[in-house]
Formats: sequence, C-alpha cells, structure tokens
Amino acid sequence: MPDLDAIKTEVRRLLADGVVEVVVAFKPGDTPLHPQPAFFHSPEEVDSLVHNGLCQNNLATFLTHLPKTKKVGMVVRGCENRSVNALIVEKQKSRENLYLLGVPCEGIIDWRKIVEHVGEAVLAVHENSDEVTVETREGQFNLSRNELLHASCLRCAHRNPISADILIGEPLPEGDPNLARVAVEEFESLTNEERYAWFQKEAERCIRCYACREACPMCYCTECFVDHIEPRWTESGATPAGMQGWHIVRAFHQTGRCTDCGACERACPMDIKMTYLTEKLNNDMRKKYAFEVGLDIQTQPPFATVTLDDKNRFSV
Amino acid sequence: MSQKPKIAFFQCQWCLYSPADQNWVDTQLPSNIHLTKTPCTGRINPLYVLNAVQGGADGVMISGCMPEQCHFKTGNMAARRQLEEFNDFLNHIGYEKERVRFVWLDLQDRGIIQKQLAQFEQDLEVLGPAKNLITRTKIAEGGLNA
Ligand code: SF4
Ligand code: SF4
Ligand code: SF4
Repeated sequence: MPDLDAIKTEVRRLLADGVVEVVVAFKPGDTPLHPQPAFFHSPEEVDSLVHNGLCQNNLATFLTHLPKTKKVGMVVRGCENRSVNALIVEKQKSRENLYLLGVPCEGIIDWRKIVEHVGEAVLAVHENSDEVTVETREGQFNLSRNELLHASCLRCAHRNPISADILIGEPLPEGDPNLARVAVEEFESLTNEERYAWFQKEAERCIRCYACREACPMCYCTECFVDHIEPRWTESGATPAGMQGWHIVRAFHQTGRCTDCGACERACPMDIKMTYLTEKLNNDMRKKYAFEVGLDIQTQPPFATVTLDDKNRFSV
Repeated sequence: MSQKPKIAFFQCQWCLYSPADQNWVDTQLPSNIHLTKTPCTGRINPLYVLNAVQGGADGVMISGCMPEQCHFKTGNMAARRQLEEFNDFLNHIGYEKERVRFVWLDLQDRGIIQKQLAQFEQDLEVLGPAKNLITRTKIAEGGLNA
C-alpha cells in the first residue's frame, strides 16, 4: 500500500520550497467511502491529505480547471499519469508547469461493491494489499480487496505512473495487457440483437446529469455538444434518442484519448456501464494504429493525424 | 420489403468530377434517397450519420475522393479514419455494419455513383428495414408547440 507519510512529506516539501503553487490530491470526505479531491496550497493543510483505494476520481480532470501557467503538483496513479500526458499532447498544460508525484496503484475499490456487501452506514475502512476491513454499526467485515476492485482496475495494464517526477513506493508488477482485449471480444461475441439490448438497457436509465462528463479528464470542452442549441446536435431531453445519442457520442469523443480509468462509471448515480463502449474504441486504436493513450507527451491520437499509409489501410 | 429502403446520402461536393454525374445526383435522385452535400467528407461529423440512423435511415452512403485527390488535401483521409471507426462503433452496439457504405471515387470515374447507389439499395432490400437505434422523438402533429 502507498506510504502516506512519504507522500505528505514530499507534498509539504513542494509547497514549502515553492516548487509548485498548489497540489491536487485527496482529503477525507463526508463518509469513509468517499474521500474527495482537494487543493493544497500550504504545508499546514497537508495534514489532512489522504490517499487510499477509495479515492474514486481521476485527478487529471482538475488540470484544465486551473490556469495553464500555474505550477501544479499532482498525486497520480497509473491512469491519472497517462491522462495528464494525453492532456499535454492536447496542449492543455505544459510539462514544465507540472510536478507529478507518482504512486504505484493497487486498484481503485468500487465503493458500490462495499455498499452491496455491508450497506451504506460505514464507520471506517482499513485496507491492505489483500484485504479490506469495513467497520459498521453491525460489526466488522473482512472483504477480499480483489473482489472489490472496479472493473477498469481489474484489467489495468499500467499501474505504475510512467512519467512521474518522483515515484513514491516500489513499482508493482504490471497487469496483463490482454485482459482489456478479452473483455471487448467477449462483448463482441454477442449477437447484434443482444448487444443492442444491452446498450438500450444501460442508456435508458440515463438521467442526463453529465456527472460522467464532469468526472472525465478528457471532457474539457468549453461547450459540450449536448449543451449546444444552434445547431442542435442531439435531443437534449431524457428521450431515447437523446440518451442513446449522449452515450454514443460522449464515448466516441474519447477515441484515442480515454485511459480506461473508469471515473465516468464510478461517478454515475444510475450505475450505468460505459467502459464497454470506450474500451471497444481503445481496443480498435491499439489494433488499427498500435496506439495506446498517454504513453508519451508527443504522439498525437489517431484522429488528430493522418499518414499516407492510410491509402492501403482501408478496404475501399 | 414493400417500401424502398430509405438511404441517407452524404456527398462531398468535389467527388463527382463529371458534370453529368453531379447533375444526375442534384436533379434525378429517386425519392427514397436523401441527399446532403458537404464541402468535403472531412466535414461529415459522425453526429450527421447518427442523426440519419436515429431518424430511421435504412442505410447511409458516404461518397468522397480517393486518397491524394482531396480538394483540401487530407480531409478525406481524416474522414476515413473517423467515419470507419464510427461505423465499427455503431456495429458494436447492434447497428449492422453493412448499413453504412463508403464510396471513394477517382476523379476519372464516370457513372459509378448511380451503380453504387443502385447496388446499395438492392443490398439493403435483402437486409430488410433497420430496427435498432431508430429512436428519434416523433414531432407531434401541429409542430413542436402543439
Ligand atoms: S471516458 Fe471514462 S474511463 Fe475514459 S478517460 Fe474519461 S472518465 Fe476515464
Ligand atoms: S462529450 Fe464530447 S463535446 Fe461533450 S465535453 Fe465530452 S468531449 Fe466535449
Ligand atoms: S453520469 Fe450516468 S446518468 Fe449522468 S449523464 Fe452520465 S450516464 Fe447519464
């Protein structure tokens, strides 16, 4: 598990020495299940910093909330580091103005899975690499950490931050890159009707709250297509066409940009699955263009570039 | 199929080099084909395709120029990357892949588009009417404010 004291010491140093003006990390939330993103401006505030498996957000989201020229420090896990890189590729931040504290990640615990097991009245949560101990009024529950992980983390192949300025803790063994592909292929082996039925069942619960958009580091458009009135790109109500259109196009806009962090799914109040859409696109980008999001800060995503190879790449 | 398949046809305005072909498309299209001319295939937002699909098109045809013949140099190449993937993606959620077809035309081509549209129509007749993703809200009689 990450060494919290080491993280705090480094964050304090960054702020005290003026290396950065602000550090984005987590602090305790209203319940032990929901630590919340926080901005730390001075070494004194750092006492309340936390970092554990229940930190659900992708902190890279907040990069585009801060002025471009501000010196920002950020505690990042594998996927967050790659999201930061993808944002640098898209010129949303320059690397010089960033200081990344990398923490090798053992996976994010899907808070919903804890609630399923023990209910919502959680008093405290303790975890180690194998086990999560949850205290409630009814008593203490020992759960297997692996079973509580979010689906994205179970198939993650990039647990270690790849371009952090400092790594806190020892690198972990990387996950199997085939797991992501297998998950997509499983879904694709269903018939057209079954796939549509699944899509319908997920999309029709959507209340168009856009929490998924707010949680996603790559959804930083000043005006999202769904908020656009003239021309109206899509039905804006919670109508079947509106809900399906939202799911289709939000996911499609992530092509070559999504790191499969799963923050969108964890943010959804309706527990709607979305990564089966974005993972299909990620899988295709790997297959067709050998492109993996956020591995460096130069390579443009496939939709932002063309090559003469394309002549032979298409069937028609 | 009693009715002819409904086809949404997106055409890059430069891809039909022969005036005869362009004239045919502009004036002689059968009524089951709905034409949208765009400045370049690169201008065809995937949302256009989605709107056609949600609105009940049985098929979508997109015609543009061959690689290296784009009026805007690489608009067609970018469009190919995006729209091909969008087609794959729609297929991922149950819209038959065969319902979206691309025609990339050479500047020398003559009389191809008519044949391609006729062939597409035949193939769509075999597939039958589209069922999935047709979700657009019907506008009530009397308009939006009725
Ligand atoms: S779409 Fe979801 S999984 Fe992908 S980067 Fe955005 S929040 Fe993460
Ligand atoms: S859904 Fe698309 S348009 Fe909306 S914020 Fe995300 S990327 Fe931008
Ligand atoms: S968070 Fe869930 S309910 Fe809200 S808009 Fe996204 S998918 Fe719909």
